[in-house]
Amino acid sequence: MTLRDLLVATRDATLVAVLAVAAAAATNALRDAPFPWIAVAAYDLFVPCPEPLGDAKAVSPMEPIVRAERTLVVDARDRAAHSDWHLSGAMHVPFDWIDAVPDEAVRRVAASGAAAVVVYGDGGDPDSGRELARELSGRGVRNVHYVEGGAPALRGDGHPPGAGEVAP
Amino acid sequence: MTSFSRCAAWRGHAYLALAARLYLAWVFLAACAHKIADPAAFAVDVATYGILPLWGVNAVAHVLPWIEAFAAAMLILGLRVRAAALLVAGMMATFLVALSVALAKGLDMSCGCFASTGAAEDPISSLTLLRDGAWMALALYVLILDRRPLGLDRILDRRRIP
Repeated sequence: MTLRDLLVATRDATLVAVLAVAAAAATNALRDAPFPWIAVAAYDLFVPCPEPLGDAKAVSPMEPIVRAERTLVVDARDRAAHSDWHLSGAMHVPFDWIDAVPDEAVRRVAASGAAAVVVYGDGGDPDSGRELARELSGRGVRNVHYVEGGAPALRGDGHPPGAGEVAP
Repeated sequence: MTSFSRCAAWRGHAYLALAARLYLAWVFLAACAHKIADPAAFAVDVATYGILPLWGVNAVAHVLPWIEAFAAAMLILGLRVRAAALLVAGMMATFLVALSVALAKGLDMSCGCFASTGAAEDPISSLTLLRDGAWMALALYVLILDRRPLGLDRILDRRRIP
């Protein structure tokens, strides 16, 4: 390739860039809601949440799978709620509405060897347990369930404290 | 004649370059579609890199996908192939710099190259750098060694030469 070839290519590339500007302007003009060429406010880059990706089955607090021997129970609530009360043996993986679940936590769950994973959260709307279960499922953990109603439902199902639960 | 000149004179480059051109065109067509359809989403990806001033973010989100589209079309048709390869190489060089800066900052983000998927699904990594580097190498190969590209350029050249 000679210098002349490079200059011709640069000229043509510049022309293409100009055409691209024209095409972008024409396309934007045809949109129902044209997108502004200059942003008027800074982008809030902390908004996007890691969306839960997979499917998780809902189970009631009374279903045998919740307390089955080969089930890994995961507590999705924050540290304070977990310290206050949790099912015995529950792995604590606090769900964060902004940050993704750390890879290390997903690996811990996946490496547990459990036949099923049952997640419970705060039982709110949306429920952190459901969201964590869906994210775990989406990130490759199999057979993930979540407890409908979360921790409040588990505590209120008549299951006696001390036989599975850890209370202060 | 130097070994490079001998290598550059090989006629088979046009066929190898055609494969490279079609591959690059496929990559860029796949990359530009969602950006043209949804410039607002692409603008967020551009802004996340934190390199451009705010006033330049939306303009890039508007224009860059169309440059990708035109370059892809030119590579497929064999029209002004060198210009298209130069555009692709230039874009890849820019992406490589932006990715390097983002990785150096430790940003947990998607590259925004294809349909927006979020950092959890398609995070940037050294593999992204390698991939973009390979695409840039292909573009440079076409730019430097595809002296008589197959396609419209060759047909038009024949018409010009009596």
